[in-house]
Amino acid sequence: MNRRAFLKTTGMALGALAAVRMPALAQGLEGEDLANLEKGLQAALGKGFKDLTPSDAVKLTMPAIAESGANVPAEVEVALPQGQVKAIHLFADKNPTPHLVAVQLMGGLPYYASRVRLAETTAVRAVVETADGKLLLASASTRVTVGGCG
Amino acid sequence: MAIRMLIRFTPAKPKAGEEYKFQVVAQHPMEPGTRKDAEGKLIPANYINLLEVYFEGQKVAEIRPGPSTSANPLFALKFKAEKPGSFTVKAKDINGDTGEAQAKLELA
Repeated sequence: MNRRAFLKTTGMALGALAAVRMPALAQGLEGEDLANLEKGLQAALGKGFKDLTPSDAVKLTMPAIAESGANVPAEVEVALPQGQVKAIHLFADKNPTPHLVAVQLMGGLPYYASRVRLAETTAVRAVVETADGKLLLASASTRVTVGGCG
Repeated sequence: MAIRMLIRFTPAKPKAGEEYKFQVVAQHPMEPGTRKDAEGKLIPANYINLLEVYFEGQKVAEIRPGPSTSANPLFALKFKAEKPGSFTVKAKDINGDTGEAQAKLELA
């Protein structure tokens, strides 16, 4: 077996191992820090992580790997009628200030996109406040090579 | 110093009833307050913490960014084209600097 083939097979084996092991972790997200996230949630919404409902209606688009943590595109789309979404929040678990942004929507479609700083490899959360007071959650994880907060 | 902002619509001239993207780019360093300069001293925080979007004088969105927003930030929202009109965006940073930009929405 030459070097290239060896690397290929071991790489695949490691990848498969990681995929198998993922669900065993709390949520299977890289860069999770619930203690820090809880702090940010309490400060911004007065609610904790257990009050959030994971939802398929919320779509959070983040790159899997960000070259520079100083400029990471983030996009939130909500598949709900226009009037039902009151606000969209973004949180990053590992940032010194986990609360990234709060967007109040009064007349727009439920959509928000921006570019954010990530300090290190972190899980990113989109929290959507609906008109009937529910908090919907979508999570994604971004691997950061160069941090953007220090 | 006033904050300079640019507004762009995608598509530039939406048809009536069509969804369009509304993008604002602000010229701002957005210092998060955690970065250090060459001498190792902390650079004081300076970031936009309030952005208000008005359409024909009525507030349609309010964005409150935290310190973790990129330099020269981009903010994008989506609207449904109903009637032509003018958008006004007002920004304020934590040092009290303000900026305002206007753009006219035209329908195809």
